[in-house]
Order: sequence, then C-alpha cells, then structure tokens
Amino acid sequence: MKMEDMPLSGPDNTKLEALVHDIYSELVEDACLGLCFEVHRAVKQGYFFLDETDQESMKEFEIVDQPGVDIFGQVYNQWKNKECECPNCKRLIAASRFAPHLEKCLGMGRNSSRIASRRLASNNNTSKSESDQEDNDDLNDNDWSYGAEKKAKKRKSDKSQNSPRRSKSLKHKNGELGSSISAEAYKYSYNTGISYETLGPDEVRSLLTTQCGVISEHTKKMCTRSQRCPQHTDEQRRAVRVFLLGPSAPLLPSADTAVDNDSFDIPDGQTLLSRLQWEDSPDISPTDSASSKASTNHSDSRRPKKKKRTSLCLNSGGGGGGGGSLSGSSSSQSNISLVTKKKRPKVSAPSISSIYDDLN
Amino acid sequence: MSKDSQMRAAINQKLIEMGERERLKELLRAKLVECGWKDQLKAHCKDVIREKGLEHVTVEDLVTEVTPKGRALVPDSVKKELLQRIRAFLAQHATL
Repeated sequence: MKMEDMPLSGPDNTKLEALVHDIYSELVEDACLGLCFEVHRAVKQGYFFLDETDQESMKEFEIVDQPGVDIFGQVYNQWKNKECECPNCKRLIAASRFAPHLEKCLGMGRNSSRIASRRLASNNNTSKSESDQEDNDDLNDNDWSYGAEKKAKKRKSDKSQNSPRRSKSLKHKNGELGSSISAEAYKYSYNTGISYETLGPDEVRSLLTTQCGVISEHTKKMCTRSQRCPQHTDEQRRAVRVFLLGPSAPLLPSADTAVDNDSFDIPDGQTLLSRLQWEDSPDISPTDSASSKASTNHSDSRRPKKKKRTSLCLNSGGGGGGGGSLSGSSSSQSNISLVTKKKRPKVSAPSISSIYDDLN
Repeated sequence: MSKDSQMRAAINQKLIEMGERERLKELLRAKLVECGWKDQLKAHCKDVIREKGLEHVTVEDLVTEVTPKGRALVPDSVKKELLQRIRAFLAQHATL
C-alpha cells in the first residue's frame, strides 16, 4: 500500500498527531536503548566506574578558586624572590641575574671562559664588579698578543709553503745535510706542480723527458714526479706528450731509459756516487717537488742526486751559504735554487721563468 | 483499525527508506548529549547498578529502569524540535 493513498492531511488531525508522537517516543526509546547497551557494555568490560574516585580524594584535589592563591591552593610567589643555585659554582643567584651569571660561570659566550676559570681557581669572594673589570682588561691584553702571535705564525708558514724556491733550496740542503731535515723539507715541498701554459716549447720538451708531466684535471698543473710515478698511467703520459709536443712526440721512455737519462747529464761514476750518497738518507726525496707523497720509490730518488751534485759545486763556486741551516736567509736559498735550475728546469713554473731571465 | 496500522507501517517504511529516521536519530542523540540528558541517565544507571550489584546487571534491568526516566527527562525544546521535523516530513510526503 502506498503512502500517497493515505488521507494523512485529511480531517483526522488528531490521528496524525498521535502518529507523530508515536514516532517521537520510538526515537526516544531507541536513544534510551542505545544508552543502556552502552552502559551495560561498559559495566561488563569493567570501565564504567573508572572515572569515579572516592569522595575524599575528590575533595583533596579540588580546584581552588580564591584570590591570591593558585589552583592548587598554594600562595603565589613573586618571581623576584626566586633564587637559583648555579650548577657550576653552587652559589645562589637571583633569577634575573642567573642567565648572565651562567654565561660567565660556564665559560660560554664572549670573553667569559677565562674570567670564570680564573674566578673559580682563585675562588675569592671579592666584589663582583671590581674583579670583572680587572679580568676584562687582562683578557683583552691576552687576546691581543695571542692573536698577533698566531697571525705571525700563519704568515710565516704561508710564505714557506707558497714559495717554490724555498722548497727547492731545502731539497738541496737536504741532500747535503742528511736526513734530519728531510721531514721538514717534505712538508714544504708537496703540491706545487707546473702550469704548462707558462712554459716555452723547449722547457716543455725537457720537462717531459724527465718527468711524468700528466696534466691534472683539477689544478691544470703538470705532475712533476718521475716518469714512473704511480699516480698516472703510461697512457696518460703518452697523451700529454702528444698533446704538448705534437704527434711526433717521442714515446714514453721506459724505466731503463730513465736511468740512462740520468747519465745523460752527468758522468756515470759521479751519478753512482751521488746515488749511493743519496740512498743513505732514508727519507723521501723532496726534489720531486710536487706531490711528493708517493715519491719514495727509487726511480724518484735518482733525480735528486744529480741536482744535489750540481748545486753543490755551483754553490761552492758562487760562495753562497749553500750549506746553511734550514732557516737560512731566503736570498741565499733562492741563489742556490736558481743555480740548480739552470741545469735542470724541473720544478715549478715561477722558478723556471726566472731561469729564463737569467739565461737571457 | 487495520487501515490505521497499515498506514503506520507505510510511514515507518517511508521514514527508513528516505533515511529520515536515521537523521532524526542522530539529531536526537546530539541534542540529548548537548543538554546533559545522557549524563543524567548515566548517573541514574550508576545508582541502579550499585543497587543490583556489578555482576548481576542485565540489559533488561537497565532498560526497564532507565527508559521511563529517559522519556521524562527529555527537554521540552528537544521534544518540540523533533516533533516539528516529523510533522514536516509527513506533510511533505503525504501531499505527494
């Protein structure tokens, strides 16, 4: 039967009202039933009385709502009365002064570490402002001298690292003076390298006959280690030679020819002698100025011999203080290095150009 | 009489079909929670449960105890609103 057929809005309005009330009470009963189910389930699961506490504890933790008292019924403290104990020096500090004190006491922040440590060390109770003033003055002085010292040191080391001449001369001395200096020399002699653009064709040629010469991708400098340096492959060396000298470039010399190269300049006996001499000093040969880290192998140590020899005789001729101490004047050092480089333009670019000047 | 019950059944079916019954139920629940009816009844339930003992309470007990009180406790405003909506629904669909 369809609802539309019903005479709902007919004359029997009371009937309709009764119907509406029925529906309403049904809905209310539904709601009641839902609540009953809910409560019953809660009871059976045991969580119905969970939120109940006994009357006493309810009273105990009642929220206090009175003026001048916080919700727990405690008297409200003014913040300025608060004092904190410094965890470092155990003194009581007013809360408003706590942060600045802590900064000083723990030695964080600017200027404070030495103040604090000194104060702790002396542990005196003199008036604060006075001691602060003193300490600050002291500190400033210290800072100044300390910084200056540091700067000076740094400058020095920079110079020595950047100057190829120095490193070169060190090498020679190294040869003369023995192994005691070589460690230091090694420190100075690493990572120079030659930029090939600054060299003339002859220089390039002579360089490539004696050194690895592979051009680094990063620094664009040539490797100044021996032709058998382990860092680069023969292919790389060949490619560099073709690139710099043209396709007619000589093939890479073998290990044997490298030795022969040595005797090219120097009479064999002398070479041998100097080699023996050289090999007495156990340390790395610093002559392979650039990246001498790997230069401990023997082919590397052969070249320095020659140099050393030449520099020796030339030095004696020139009357320079060639055998001087490591910290000798830089002028004499550069003198030496120039002399040697004339024989063998092998090291870094600037020194080579200076040789050229000399020759001209 | 039979016609009356027929009509009743038809209306109920219509209420359910249209989803109006569900909507009315939800509205009533929300209103009752809002006005504290639910909390009152819950408190009453607690009394009943304490009386009977936690272990021996049944749903029937609760229903018989709670329903009359529940009916009485519904606020007038909620009752009026609900009646109004039911009437509106009937009028809308009886004229079709």
